[in-house]
Amino acid sequence: MRFRRSGGGGDRAARETQILGWILVAPAMLLVAALVLYPLTQGFKQSIRSGGFLFGELPGYVGSRNYRDVLSDQTSRDAMRHTVEYVLLAVSLELVLGIAVAVTLHRVFRGRGIVLAILILPWALPSVVSGVLWRRVFDPDNGLLNSVLLNLHVISEPHVWLASGRGAIVYITLVHVWGVLPLVSLVLLAGLQSIPDEVYSASAVDGAGPWRQFRYVTLPLLRPSIAIALTVGTLLAISIFDEIYVLNGTALNTRSILIQVYNTTFVTADFAHGTALAFLLAAATAILGGGYALLLRRATV
Amino acid sequence: MLGTRRVLIGLATAALTLAAACGGSDSGSSGGTGGASSESIRGQTITVLVPYAMPQSLLAKFTAETGVKVNYVRTGWDATHNKLLVANQAKSYIADVAEFDWSFTGQFAGAQWVEPLDGLVDAKTLADLKSTDAAFISGGKTYAACYSNDFRVSMYNTKMFAKAGITEFPRTFDELAADVQKLKAAGVQYPLSIPMAATEGGVTPWYLLTLAMGGQLFDDQLAPTFSDSSSAGYQALQWEADAVSNGWVSPGSVAMDDAVAFDKFTAGETAIVLATGPGNMATANDKSQSNIAGDAALGLVPGVDGPGASFGLPEGLSIPVTAKHKAAAAAFIEWWERPENAIAIYKTQGSLPCGASAIKQLADSGELQGGDVLNAELPHVSPLFSAGAPIWYSQFSSDAQGLLNAAVKGQMSVGDALDQLASKAESHNQ
Repeated sequence: MRFRRSGGGGDRAARETQILGWILVAPAMLLVAALVLYPLTQGFKQSIRSGGFLFGELPGYVGSRNYRDVLSDQTSRDAMRHTVEYVLLAVSLELVLGIAVAVTLHRVFRGRGIVLAILILPWALPSVVSGVLWRRVFDPDNGLLNSVLLNLHVISEPHVWLASGRGAIVYITLVHVWGVLPLVSLVLLAGLQSIPDEVYSASAVDGAGPWRQFRYVTLPLLRPSIAIALTVGTLLAISIFDEIYVLNGTALNTRSILIQVYNTTFVTADFAHGTALAFLLAAATAILGGGYALLLRRATV
Repeated sequence: MLGTRRVLIGLATAALTLAAACGGSDSGSSGGTGGASSESIRGQTITVLVPYAMPQSLLAKFTAETGVKVNYVRTGWDATHNKLLVANQAKSYIADVAEFDWSFTGQFAGAQWVEPLDGLVDAKTLADLKSTDAAFISGGKTYAACYSNDFRVSMYNTKMFAKAGITEFPRTFDELAADVQKLKAAGVQYPLSIPMAATEGGVTPWYLLTLAMGGQLFDDQLAPTFSDSSSAGYQALQWEADAVSNGWVSPGSVAMDDAVAFDKFTAGETAIVLATGPGNMATANDKSQSNIAGDAALGLVPGVDGPGASFGLPEGLSIPVTAKHKAAAAAFIEWWERPENAIAIYKTQGSLPCGASAIKQLADSGELQGGDVLNAELPHVSPLFSAGAPIWYSQFSSDAQGLLNAAVKGQMSVGDALDQLASKAESHNQ
C-alpha cells in the first residue's frame, strides 16, 4: 500500500493505516492475553495466597510464604538438585555427541540419506512412547538389559537399574538424550553446511590439519548453531517429565522439579505451593533463556 | 485511503454482528443446573466419570427405562482423581456422576465439592448401603453411594501350593514365611506379589500389613503411631523391605504398581497376592484374562496369632456440585444400586456390590466367588480411618508413596523414612 508522507490527507491516511494495524493485531493480542497472560496472572495470585481451609488455614494473601516453603522443603530441594543434574548431563552429552554426529554426517558417504532418516526416528517418537520402549529395556524382572547381562554372566541376579540415586538419573538422562540428540545433531549439521568450503581450503593452504581446522574454523563458525542447540537442549531438559514418569513414576530418587510441581498440584491438590514452585521454575527458565539469547546474539554479531 | 476506510467499516460491522450473535446465544442458553425433584429428566444426557468399564448393553437398559442418555467416560483411577481435583478447584463442570473413593471423603466433603446424597437419592437405596457407606459420611452427611465393596483379602494359586506340599493358606506371618520358603524350594522363584512403587497402590500393602500386625496408623487424635520401632507400622515396613532383600518378591516389585503385581499372579509367575480386592477373583479365574484360571482361591489376610485385620477401600458414586442434571444423576445412582444391576455389573466388571440385598442375592445363588472366605474376612474389615479419611489424606498418601518406596529400595532406612513421614503427618494435622 502506498500513501503520501506530506499534507493533511497523508497524515490521516497514515493514522488510519496505524489504526487498521492495531485492529488487525488486536484479536491475536486478545487471544494471547486470554490464553497466556490471564492464566499467568491467576496462577501468580494463587501462588501468593494460602491453600485455604483444605490445608487448615483461612484463605488469604500470604506474600512470599509459599515460595519460602517450597524453597525450604527437602523434597522440593532434592527435585531442584535432580533437575540441575538432568540439565547439566543432558546438555553436555547432547552437545558432544551432537557435534560428533553432525561432523560424521557432514561427510558425503553412501547411505547418508538412510542414516539421516534413521537418526530422526527417536526424535519423531513422542517422549511417552520412547519411555515405554526403554521401560522394556530397564525392567528389572523381564527387561532386555538384565536378560542380556544375565545370559552373558556379567551379573548374577537381576539388577534394579532405576533404584539407585545417581545411576537412575544417568539412565533416565540417556533416554532423554536418545530422543533429543537427533534434533541437536540436525541443528549442528545445518550449521556445518553453512560454512563455506573456501574457508577450509584457505586454512589448508595455511597448513592447518583436520584438528586445527576443527578447533579454529569449525567451532568458531558453528557458535550460532551451538547456541541454538544449547538453548533447545536446556529448555527440553528443564521440562523433562514424561521419561521420568513412565520409567520411575514419582519415586523420590529421580523426581524432577516438574514432577514435584505435578505431584504438589494435582495429587495433593496443594495449588498454592504447586504454582509457587512452577513460578520459580518459570523464572529460572526465563533467566537461562535470556542468557542464551544474549549468547546467541554475541555469537551471531 | 478509501480501501483502508472500507476495511475499517467492514471490520466494525463484523464486530457488531459477532457481538450481537454472542448476545443472542447467551440469552438463548438454558443456564439451569437442575436438581429440583420435579425436574423431568427424560431426554437429558448425563456424563458419568468412573475408572471402570461398563457394558453398553447395561447403559442402554438405563436409557430405555429412564429416557436419560449416558456419556460414560472411563479413565484410569489416578487420572480420574486428578481430573476431579482440577475441575473442582476451578469450580467447572466435569460430570453429573463422578467417582468418589474412600480417600476423597475429608477433602471433597470439606471443600463442598460434592452434594450430600441425603434427599437427592432415594432413602431406601441409601439404607441398603448403610454398612458400606460409613467411609463416605462426613459431618453426618452421606456424600457417595458405594458401588465397589472393596476390601483387602489375600489370593493364592492352589496348584502351586499343592506342588509345594502346602495344604492351606497361612494364618500367621510365621506360617507365611515358612510357606514362602517351601514355594521357593518348589521352584517358584518369587512367591509373593506385593506392589511397592511410589503410587497409591504401592502404599496400600503397608496399610494392610500394619493393621494385620495388630496396629493402627494413627491414634484417635490422628497423631501418627508408626515411627516407634516396636510399632506395627514400623514392623510392617521392615517386613516389606525384608521381603525384597530375601527374594520373596521380585526385584522389580519396588517399581511395580498393583495392576502389574496382580498381572504377575494371573500370569502364573507368583503364588500369593497378599492384598487384593475380592472382585479380582472373577478376573483371576477367567480363562480369557488369566493363565491360572481355576487355580486362584481367596485366603484370609495373615496376622500375628491368627487371621489379621483388614481394611475397606470402598468406592462410590457422587454428584458434584457443578453437575448439570442432578436429578438424572440421582436416578442413575439409584439404578446402579438396584440388586439386579449391581449383580450384572459384578459379573462383567468385577466390582463386588455394596448393597446388603445384592450381596445376599449373590450369596444365596452361589454366584459369589470365594464367598466363604469373604464372609469370614468381613468381620476383620474396618475403615483405615474410623472417622473417615482426614482432609489432608492426599498429602499424607503422596508423602508415604515417596518415602516408603525409598525405604524398600534401600535409599533410606525404615526408621528414617517413617520418622520423616510421621513428622510430615504431624505438620499436616496441626
